Amino acid sequence: MRFAQGREARSDEMDAWLAGLLGDVEGAALVAVGGYGRRQLSPGSDLDVVLLHDGSRGDPAVAELAESIWYPIWDAKVKLDHSVRTIAQARSVAQEDLAVVLGLLTARHVAGDPELTKALREVVLADWRKQAPRRLPELRALREERRAQHGELAYRLEGDLKECAGGLRDADSLRAIAASWIADVPHGDPEAAQGFLLDVRWVLHTRTGRAADRILLQEQDELAADLEFESADELMRAVSDAARTIDYACDVAWRRVEQALATRNRSSGISGLLRRGGNSAPPREPLADGVVKAEGEAALALAADLNDPVLPLRIASAAAQAGLPISPTSLERLAASPAVLPEPWPEHARAELLRLLGAGPGLIPVWEALDRTGILVRLLPEWERIRSLPQRNALHVHTVDRHIVQTVVHAAERTRRVDRADLLLAAALCHDLGKGLPGDHCATGAEIVGKLGVRLGFPAHDVATLVALTRHHLLFAELAVHRDPTDPATLAPLLAAAGESGTGPAEFVALLQLLTESDSQATGPAVWSTWRASLYRELGLRAQAVLAGEEQPSTQSSGHEEADRTLAGQAAAAPDGIAVQAVAPGSAGIGRIDVAIPDQVGALALVAGVLTLRHVRVLSAELSTAKAGETGYAVQRWTVAAEYGELPDLVRLRTDLRSARAGSLKIAERLATRDQERAAHHKQRPGTPAATVRLLPSASETATVLEVRAGDTPGLLHRIAAAIAGTGADIERARIATLGPQAVDVFYLTFGVGSETAVGSAVAEELMARVRAALN
Amino acid sequence: MKLITAVVKPYKLDEVKTALQAFGVHGLTVNESSGYGRQRGHTEVYRGAEYTVDLVPKVRIELLAEDHDVEDLLNVIAKAAQTGKIGDGKIWVTPVETVVRVRTGERGAEAL
Repeated sequence: MRFAQGREARSDEMDAWLAGLLGDVEGAALVAVGGYGRRQLSPGSDLDVVLLHDGSRGDPAVAELAESIWYPIWDAKVKLDHSVRTIAQARSVAQEDLAVVLGLLTARHVAGDPELTKALREVVLADWRKQAPRRLPELRALREERRAQHGELAYRLEGDLKECAGGLRDADSLRAIAASWIADVPHGDPEAAQGFLLDVRWVLHTRTGRAADRILLQEQDELAADLEFESADELMRAVSDAARTIDYACDVAWRRVEQALATRNRSSGISGLLRRGGNSAPPREPLADGVVKAEGEAALALAADLNDPVLPLRIASAAAQAGLPISPTSLERLAASPAVLPEPWPEHARAELLRLLGAGPGLIPVWEALDRTGILVRLLPEWERIRSLPQRNALHVHTVDRHIVQTVVHAAERTRRVDRADLLLAAALCHDLGKGLPGDHCATGAEIVGKLGVRLGFPAHDVATLVALTRHHLLFAELAVHRDPTDPATLAPLLAAAGESGTGPAEFVALLQLLTESDSQATGPAVWSTWRASLYRELGLRAQAVLAGEEQPSTQSSGHEEADRTLAGQAAAAPDGIAVQAVAPGSAGIGRIDVAIPDQVGALALVAGVLTLRHVRVLSAELSTAKAGETGYAVQRWTVAAEYGELPDLVRLRTDLRSARAGSLKIAERLATRDQERAAHHKQRPGTPAATVRLLPSASETATVLEVRAGDTPGLLHRIAAAIAGTGADIERARIATLGPQAVDVFYLTFGVGSETAVGSAVAEELMARVRAALN
Repeated sequence: MKLITAVVKPYKLDEVKTALQAFGVHGLTVNESSGYGRQRGHTEVYRGAEYTVDLVPKVRIELLAEDHDVEDLLNVIAKAAQTGKIGDGKIWVTPVETVVRVRTGERGAEAL
């Protein structure tokens, strides 16, 4: 608690100032409440003050006294949260408003009549203790609301130190629970964790000059330096750890409250009297060998053998399957036990681990409890390195360790879809163990898993499968989202990866697909959507069809030939040669717009530009050509979402397309103006990676494949397509994908007959140079 | 040319209008609005629950002025609207590119 002295000094300074403002008056006192009452003032904190009086003055005199104190504070631009009350008034408001009573629980005398402050404290504490059975459930509900609204500080990229679960408000609630005398709370670690978060808050206020409680990404490097951490990652890891300590302490405390209140209810009334005449001990129901359910927790049975090294896994899997927390006392006893699993693990130990992993959402709190008490790292030493490891990108909602647990939970939902559910769950557990080490985490993870799999007692062929799944766990998404599924070259890397596995190729592909789905879902909403799920499904079906010996549909066939010809016919019949139609919107405002226009170089750039002008976000595009009579038409199927509100009117779109083809709508100029305005107001975030442009030589059997990865900005696709059109290349197909802030666009290009387009050729170099220029 | 915007206590509107007319201002716009400042809508004597912020009724007055009149107009409005208590409000000035009188089509200072 490096800055605890600073906080106290600031409180002392305010005390002296307020005492001077109040002066020598009788029948009144200034009382510090809330954070000020706890002497935890940060530079940007409010002063929470109550002007307490004995009611002997009339209202005008009270107002005059209040004015003489508040105006100097306002004029000094110090933020003030004030109230003026008698003891009776304070008591009355406290009984109705939880926030008021929580503040008053920390009431501290600052100036004036100390007897008034003492009387206030006594009556507020007495009321709090008396009303605790009613008020504590309210406080708990508030905690759940905060969690739902603000998320968990341990896992947010830019968490709110105060409001997030595991933050400062949760830490304060422990004090309120202790003050109620209903249940004791964990001590020591939570207080140290709170002190650390207060230090971070102190530095945040000092550095930013404002009362900020969120640690924004762009401030983390400087905050880390101020707090003498080696890097922002180390700082955020410490914040995550502190938040988890507080959150876990709150979980334990609230369970104790629940048990204490349940015991009170059992003991009270007529039925309580009757029970006290007999055996009033709570029932214990067996859950597994050496494990019972007691008072809403999974606990060690009286006869449990603490020398059994599988016992921790057994109690954990029983608890997770039953959706119960593990009793803290049992955890302490297990943590102190010297029993160690042999290597390799016996089969029944592995079975319990898999039962635990397959438990679904019940896994999360149990896994956290095992980690908090040091039991997990005895079972899986690999976990130490990735605990609270931050993920420095906006796509991931969670830290690495929590992401893995979430992936396992989502994998558990999918176990019915695969024969080897055990390998799916194990792969979900292992897939990101390589993170935080230098190099490609897939490769380093595969090495780690090779040893871990043996230690867990998996047979050699299963270890080979786990290694292959870990090494290639990003491959399926890459192919599904960024490659043309109809191109035979797309499936080649997938089938090659299957050859490394110890299981059959069809089973491997199924496992990889489900692992990918689980991983994407656990990553966050920027990565997982029904649109993505459909891409994964399509690739999976195609791969399974090929493995079953069915003929792959040809590259040119996308299953839309008839629809394309119909749309091309509509375009041919229209005076302006354009047809536009919309397919009914899908989930979350995503829809499809199909366009047919005369096939010419630059057609993609033209339509992309018009869509951008109308604030339409492009998620993906499929291109083909169809003939109507002797004229060829470019048929484009755009999967889109509106940037604001709803998708634009089709008539308007068509008018714009017509004007753009005629040259009267200057798309490039309009987009350039918008880009300039946007650049003036939107600064690029520090650390944004540079765009990459590359050719993928083996990605297609029939086309030159160009891949562009760049920050997703309006008009990006138009600029890239226009640059490609400038080389004379024809865009046959395109896979457009946005991943949070990044666009990954893949274009399947064909050039004139006889053109040399290998990497390094003049054509290829010109193409790459033009696209790079367009990105700048 | 500038747009002067003043947010003041509702009961001060007549006083402000009278003062502006005396200065020679012949046109202004008035809207009802609500808001709060540093005191978050709390009065000097506040007995309510914590963590609530009340929006307090105000009026918003807007008038166009030539550049050389702005400083005087700020003083006129501030003096007329002031009570010395919290919630007196604020006045600010923003530049105006042009103004058109709809009836006659006059532009610029002639449209004032």
